[in-house]
Amino acid sequence: MPEWIIILLRSLTLITLLFFLTKWLGTKHLSQLNIFEYISGIVLGSIAAIHTVDPDTNFSYAVIAMVVWFMVPFGVEKMALKSKAFRDFTEGKGVVFIQDGKIMEDNLKKEGYSTDDLLEKLRNNNIFLASDVEFAVLEPTGSLSVLPKRENRPLTAKDLGIKLAPTKEPQTVVMDGNVLLEPLANLSLNTNWLETELDKMNVSIENVFLAQADSDGQLTVDLYDDMIAVPAPTEKPLLLATMKKCQADLELFALSTENPESKEMYQRNGKKLQNAIDTISPYLS
Amino acid sequence: MTVGSQVKGCYSSIKSIEASLGILSNKTQNVESKQAFEHTEQLMKQIKNDLQKQVVMLSKQEPQYK
Repeated sequence: MPEWIIILLRSLTLITLLFFLTKWLGTKHLSQLNIFEYISGIVLGSIAAIHTVDPDTNFSYAVIAMVVWFMVPFGVEKMALKSKAFRDFTEGKGVVFIQDGKIMEDNLKKEGYSTDDLLEKLRNNNIFLASDVEFAVLEPTGSLSVLPKRENRPLTAKDLGIKLAPTKEPQTVVMDGNVLLEPLANLSLNTNWLETELDKMNVSIENVFLAQADSDGQLTVDLYDDMIAVPAPTEKPLLLATMKKCQADLELFALSTENPESKEMYQRNGKKLQNAIDTISPYLS
Repeated sequence: MTVGSQVKGCYSSIKSIEASLGILSNKTQNVESKQAFEHTEQLMKQIKNDLQKQVVMLSKQEPQYK
């Protein structure tokens, strides 16, 4: 057999083998690999490379070596899943760099991090002042996780005491002009509903590039023809506005009537409607 | 516009709000939102009943504008 055919066959076999081995080793991102997994990956690649271009080597040795370099990391990974102590040993533990706002110099030295390295890692987390940090830990993968002090954390709705309506993930119901039935069914809607909603907006389904529906059944669309303006969903804002108008009307009636009984009735219902607006407005915005 | 027709207009708006809330509570997938919509719908129903009585009373008081 000519040598070039041997190299061709070896290459194809090793590519297939390497593909499956790396697939079975898991889908961790390169930056999440620990050093051991990183090195075994390089070794696997090197074995494949050597045995591909050198036709004099024994091909079965390549397979044996690759299987060993696959089995050991694979076994270690599986065992690490089972045992916490083993995991700490193989994958390492996080090292606390900043605790209670104070930098742990000893830990920095132990991990071989200079002050500049620490500041750089903090800047990666958008923190330019070390005293803004309450707690920071160096993960085994080498990234720094930072918990800023309470006053330096982003403001959330919880901090402001605002009540927000829960939302679920929106579903994409039309893609490239084709209706997707499964997401529609997830929202317990059907194609009739979709056609009605599109009719309301005065667009035909062929013109729809993308349409998404939220968990409350509001449809937003993007059209192929960008010159056509698409109306935004108005149902909820309209409802809220109508409620507010009715509330104002009731108060007006209460002021203008001279009948004490009617006055009391208007006032009571005005208040009731105000309460209703207060409870429902998070869900309507 | 007479008082009677103004109240009638408000009454029909309340009815439309109630119906919209009903639609929304049926459409939403979220239990919490559904409860909020249903609760508000109940409130609107109570207001609607009160207003209905008022509309009847006013139409008796202003029979010439009926």
